[in-house]
Amino acid sequence: MGKQDRDFKAVGTRPLRPDGVEKVTGRAKFGADLSAPGMLVGRFLRSPHAHARIRSIDTSKAAALPGVKAVVTGDSFDITKVSSGNHDTLANVMARDKALYEGHAVAAIAAISVSIARKALKLIEVDYEVLPHVTDVDEAMAADAPLLHENMFTANLTPKPTKPSNIANFYEFGHGDIEAGFAKADVIIERSFKTAATHQGYIEPHACLANMTQDGQGELWCCTQGHFMVRNVCADLMGMEISKLRVTASEIGGGFGGKTTVFIDPVALMLSKLAGKPVKIVMSREEVFKASGPTSSTSMRIKIGATNDGRLTACEGEFNYQGGAYADSPVQFGAMSAFACYDLEHVKTVGYDVAANRPKNVAYRAPGAPMAAFAVESVMAEMADRLGLDQLEFRLKNAATEGTRSSYGPTYNSVGLTETIKAAQSHDHYSAPLGANQGRGIASGFWFNFGGQTAVSLNVQEDGTVNVTVGTPDIGGSRASMGLMVAEELGIEYDNIRCIIADTSSLGYNDVTDGSRTTFSSGLALINAAKDAKAKMCARAARIWDIPAEAVEWKDGCVQPAGANAGEFEPMSFAEIAANADNTGGPIAGHHEINASGAGVSFGTHMVDVEVDPDTGYVKILRYTVVQDAGKAVHPAYVEGQYQGGAVQGIGWALNEEYIYGEDGRLQNAGFLDYRMPVASDLPMIDTVIVEVPNPGHPYGVRGVGETSIVPPMAAIANAVSQAAGVRMTELPMSPPRVLKAMDDAKGG
Amino acid sequence: MVKVMLWGSLAALAEGKPELEIEAKNIKQLLQRLAEDHPGLKPVLEKGVSVSIDGMMYNDAWFEEISSENEICILPRIEGG
Amino acid sequence: MRFEAPTSLNAAIELLENEAGVVRILAGGTDVLVQLRSGQVEPDLIVDIKRIEAMQTITEEDGGFRIGAAVCGAELGGHAGVCKLWPGVVEAVELIGSTQVQGRATMVGNLCNASPAADSVPAMVAAGATARVTGPEGSRDIPVEKIATGPGQTSLGRAELVESVYLPARGVHSSDAYLRFIPRTEMDIAVVGAGISIEMDGNGICTHARVALGAVGPRVMLVEDAATALIGTSIDEAALEALAQAASSAATPIDDKRGTVDFRIKVAGVLARRAAIIAVQRSRVD
Ligand SMILES: Cc1cc2nc3c(=O)[nH]c(=O)nc-3n(C[C@H](O)[C@H](O)[C@H](O)COP(=O)(O)OP(=O)(O)OC[C@H]3O[C@@H](n4cnc5c(N)ncnc54)[C@H](O)[C@@H]3O)c2cc1C
Repeated sequence: MGKQDRDFKAVGTRPLRPDGVEKVTGRAKFGADLSAPGMLVGRFLRSPHAHARIRSIDTSKAAALPGVKAVVTGDSFDITKVSSGNHDTLANVMARDKALYEGHAVAAIAAISVSIARKALKLIEVDYEVLPHVTDVDEAMAADAPLLHENMFTANLTPKPTKPSNIANFYEFGHGDIEAGFAKADVIIERSFKTAATHQGYIEPHACLANMTQDGQGELWCCTQGHFMVRNVCADLMGMEISKLRVTASEIGGGFGGKTTVFIDPVALMLSKLAGKPVKIVMSREEVFKASGPTSSTSMRIKIGATNDGRLTACEGEFNYQGGAYADSPVQFGAMSAFACYDLEHVKTVGYDVAANRPKNVAYRAPGAPMAAFAVESVMAEMADRLGLDQLEFRLKNAATEGTRSSYGPTYNSVGLTETIKAAQSHDHYSAPLGANQGRGIASGFWFNFGGQTAVSLNVQEDGTVNVTVGTPDIGGSRASMGLMVAEELGIEYDNIRCIIADTSSLGYNDVTDGSRTTFSSGLALINAAKDAKAKMCARAARIWDIPAEAVEWKDGCVQPAGANAGEFEPMSFAEIAANADNTGGPIAGHHEINASGAGVSFGTHMVDVEVDPDTGYVKILRYTVVQDAGKAVHPAYVEGQYQGGAVQGIGWALNEEYIYGEDGRLQNAGFLDYRMPVASDLPMIDTVIVEVPNPGHPYGVRGVGETSIVPPMAAIANAVSQAAGVRMTELPMSPPRVLKAMDDAKGG
Repeated sequence: MVKVMLWGSLAALAEGKPELEIEAKNIKQLLQRLAEDHPGLKPVLEKGVSVSIDGMMYNDAWFEEISSENEICILPRIEGG
Repeated sequence: MRFEAPTSLNAAIELLENEAGVVRILAGGTDVLVQLRSGQVEPDLIVDIKRIEAMQTITEEDGGFRIGAAVCGAELGGHAGVCKLWPGVVEAVELIGSTQVQGRATMVGNLCNASPAADSVPAMVAAGATARVTGPEGSRDIPVEKIATGPGQTSLGRAELVESVYLPARGVHSSDAYLRFIPRTEMDIAVVGAGISIEMDGNGICTHARVALGAVGPRVMLVEDAATALIGTSIDEAALEALAQAASSAATPIDDKRGTVDFRIKVAGVLARRAAIIAVQRSRVD
């Protein structure tokens, strides 16, 4: 499986997690765990309507209630001073002239107790003019659909539209001549698909504690995937200088992309500024569902042509993604990634990014790719069956390899799709027998991965231990991975390294922990910071020995003379040099700032067995295997955790999770009782296979692993269910009523 | 001269040409000249794009050097979750 | 809001009688606390009945069992006598929530919460259980199916509470079973529930049956046609088919976020049939 020649000592081992004890004993501090003297509680008033013009808001009675210390509405923020890129974010944080979805914040108050806050919210009078609404993507695209934004003209469409619509953006990708490609096909399959919106479902609701002082300085504690992003956006919305706002990231109870923007933080800061006291806001689960998060619901059409011997001749896809109130769907990534697994001469995809009266879309793990993969890999499975080919052989025959021009443009360098398919073929899962009413599904998936701005620092302490400081919140165990990479580079023990996530005043700007970038980018920067520290330590040792700096070298955690000519000296250990830091020039540190590039793309192949109850449509997941290329697994247990987590979220998305809207445009299931995520007893142990095809863009070959694992599951499960049920499932979720109906319809009953 | 590939709908904004030839030594010059020569592209470039050089993705990297040897693609700005 | 935890039944009734505002009785609190936190109810008085000793016991009575209103699911599940006599009722109670919830939740709370989807209620109805309702005017025993009048509504009068539930004695070749459909494996609300109790004679012919359905109407329903389909038969394939048909025809569900009308109608029959098969098996083992 393309292993590297290099021998690693620390990287690739599985030490205990550094945050484990704190977390299992309940002492880790999450977003809601911080308190401050004199703290107030902040609460939101939210729109009960899916779409309404706000004629007026009267907050005078609420403000007059004893115990209420501040009231905020959209007018509290000066939009003229906010950069245009943040206008939608501001309007989402606090509605301005229109409420665009049920749950859209229209006002907030800070009070001395929860009960006073609740009372005060009831005293706020909002005069709404209720407008017609639309929540379905196909309906929102219709010419006569209620319009969310009078100034929304589809961008990138030629000729330029003359009338506004709910379609914010148009995208087209591909190469070749698809008509010619279809002409060469012996078999063509075309199908339409729909998927429901899902929420990232992180266990920790958004929470923050804001403290603005009278001199215009601010502090914010919050759970986020990117506190530098929070700082910059909040400073912009508040009209503050960036350096005056210090943001600290708490421990985080999951994000999955959903904590890559702000919802409550600017409001907490504004309430604190007006009240002159610290303000804490903790969202309820209902608020989390109604006003944060979800990813797109979609409507898609896929057409694939192939020759009888199983070579793809042309692939075409149309992707319509509902992007919430401000059309923030990741449809471009859906359209780019849809056919990225395959080596294609003729391929074309188009994408429409559509606004609807639903919460503003936020990224969700490999944003946009899982839905597209569901549609494409469903047709791929049907094609393999139609051609009488083995599912994996068919994919292998068409798999993208080094030198393949991708469906979205660039030519791939080293990629590991073929290796994942071959590993799946040789896995005993693939040949295990199936029973009655059971089916096996296969799907492959792709994700880009990303690098980005990163700043780190590494401080060598006098006892030879090391503190590592990064600016990327640890969502999936990155602190352990950082420690391992530093241990590898410095040649010291992992246990002697402690990694923390620094606040925004302590490091240069760091992009958000997203795009599977953290272990890749912060790791890359830390390897360089360690090299920086090593160079300094070599120079110190050379001076102690009184020989030129070039005459020493670093080996196994020690400095030693580079050759016989340099002189006879015993190797000087890391700890010895550290102990003499004071006398040799003061503290020893390494730093690195980078805009990381070279994140390698990543592929995975999933296999799943299901059993369908023929009388109820209930789907049981019997066995699940994830095979994915990690480049190099720094901490394999965490890599496996990412693979398993992606599969589990995909199982939820495939089977039961969905945003359900009533005729009134209100969300019907804003809680975990009726938004049905899988529970532990729904799942088998998820098997994992780590494939390692080194990424040429990273010194250790690391690729991001956090997102690809959520791309194939829905397709794999749909393929398995379709086989077991004897009918092709084209809509998610495959909830029991839908599966039962499909089976009954297929029977003609 | 470097050759730049544009994604489909972006090409439509550049008079329908999926591939352009531009005189540029690095990404900064590339983006500047693209906007000058093809004003239709300007709003998209200003909103932010990613540039792929030989399959490697770059965001905000003015000084990354490019030559006629490289395969260069302009892509929607890559984000993640 | 006032919180009271009386130690006698009379004291509890007095408290209820003297409060003019909104009152909530608190047993395990697994419904009440959720409703309080979500702001669904804002009571003036909460009366906790868990300190009333007489309500915490399970006692044998005329070959059956009287179960106090404050007995939690875990205690019921640990009572060998009840488990042997009414395994279907116990399995229904044990489906409620999780281990944590089982340590609090009561069967009577499940009944008085009056949800059409309450898991223990179809099983209790099938069992022919009676509720002892006590108030300022004294006590009366009524069939459990007469407690709920609609979603969240009960027939209990002002200052009345349910003191206990009585599960009657039954013959030798008899048993019961409860099944629910949920899209997951636990921590969910029944989309359909079916409770069945049967009694067979020495020749393997069904002499008595009760069939109850949950979540397919505004309240748990006793389906007499379904019972008729079984009585006088050996509960063979034809009887099971007739049972399923009768259960499906009796169902009057709604379309909602938890399931469609068609789905619930069909699954009501499927579950009734499957529960009957289990009950028959159990009746043979005894
Ligand atoms: C996580 C979770 C999972 C759950 N899962 C299930 C499930 O799977 N199936 C299911 O059916 N339910 C479920 N429930 C709901 C709940 O647990 C059950 O309805 C439970 O049986 C209620 O019992 P309790 O003792 O907690 O009732 P409480 O909450 O104390 O009371 C419920 C209602 O009955 C009234 N009441 C209580 N006792 C009396 C009395 N003696 N006389 C008159 N009125 C009374 C109360 O005033 C209240 O209106 C779940 C709840 C939670 C929180």
